[in-house]
Amino acid sequence: MRQKLIQILGLTVTAAYALAIVWLYATEPRSFREVATGAQVAAGTYQVDQKKFESALSLFRRDQFRAARDEWQRADPAASDPRTQFYIAYSFYREGWGRIYYDQELFKQGLEAVNRAIALAPQPLSVADENLQLHTAAELKAELEQGIERNWGDVNPLKVMRQRK
Amino acid sequence: MTDELRATKEELTTAEPRELVAVERAVDNRARNEALVSYWVLPFLFLTVALLGGLRVGADDHAFIFFPPPLITLVLAVLLMLLFVRGGLIELRSWVAGNQPPLANLSRIWILLTLFFASAQALNSVLPERGLLHWLFSFFFLWTLWNNQFSSFEARRLLRSVIVLFGTAFVLKHLLLASLYAPDGGWFKRIAGALAQGVSLGTLDAPMFAPATGYISFFTLGLYIVGLVLLGAKTVDSSQ
Repeated sequence: MRQKLIQILGLTVTAAYALAIVWLYATEPRSFREVATGAQVAAGTYQVDQKKFESALSLFRRDQFRAARDEWQRADPAASDPRTQFYIAYSFYREGWGRIYYDQELFKQGLEAVNRAIALAPQPLSVADENLQLHTAAELKAELEQGIERNWGDVNPLKVMRQRK
Repeated sequence: MTDELRATKEELTTAEPRELVAVERAVDNRARNEALVSYWVLPFLFLTVALLGGLRVGADDHAFIFFPPPLITLVLAVLLMLLFVRGGLIELRSWVAGNQPPLANLSRIWILLTLFFASAQALNSVLPERGLLHWLFSFFFLWTLWNNQFSSFEARRLLRSVIVLFGTAFVLKHLLLASLYAPDGGWFKRIAGALAQGVSLGTLDAPMFAPATGYISFFTLGLYIVGLVLLGAKTVDSSQ
């Protein structure tokens, strides 16, 4: 009986260990900290660091976009929170926006972040923030995509009249 | 031999009840220890080898880099498993049989599976990651393992042969090649490295890793060998 117990327990525990190894190779964490964060995400106990998130938000409102992004990335190291990813995408949009031209590289990174936010959100993502003019991830995505596309409208001199959202 | 048996029989018939209990307890402990080795220690050892065999540490940022086993290591692992069966390290017929309980069969299949992936990852650990050297090492492994299929082996000799094979590959990759491509190596090493790359038109290019990678590989191979030795001891015990 005891031997059977050793057998069953051994099989169960080593199978769980094998699954953990497969998970490590699939997620490819780069440090022990990332392993811990990934484990929290997998266990469903992952939470964004609210203090860092608020600090990033205040930087964002003062147009310190790079510093804000750094802080948001520290607040959400696993890039698993749709709201934080939405704000990161928004910071790329605002930094890349120009009256004469848009920074293509920043807009592309913004598009990646907003796509991540859309994929992570269980339902259509909407952020109620009075300081933003685009409140949904879909609107932000459309704006970023329009900025990346090239068309004859780009040479329209009236373009300088447009406003940043 | 008959005298010995007679003596044991006489000893048992004349044994005190306390001695019989001690013998029973020893037999029980032995069975329990064997079960622990078979169902806990061996799968844990082999799975740890499977985990660490593909792990490298980046030279610049010391970040973990996970290399899944390339296809060639799976092919080499199949040859290695065949060699283990031929050499008697795994007694497949007595391990998995229709007259055994399903749980015992399942456990042994699980050990075989973990051994297969451990073998693939142990090979992954000593193969250069890319370029001409990767294919050269793979070819030599393939050649050696293929030739060994037609040699007569017994478990102990096979173990020694496997240790020498992995040891040689480890020294070549983690000592010789690593020092040849090390950025902080002396001028002679750098010239030799540059010449080797130039002559081979850059095909000898090898990725740089932190020294910790060599230590991880050494530990991994050590665990793999310990696992094989335990497996060999278990096979000898069960055959006796």
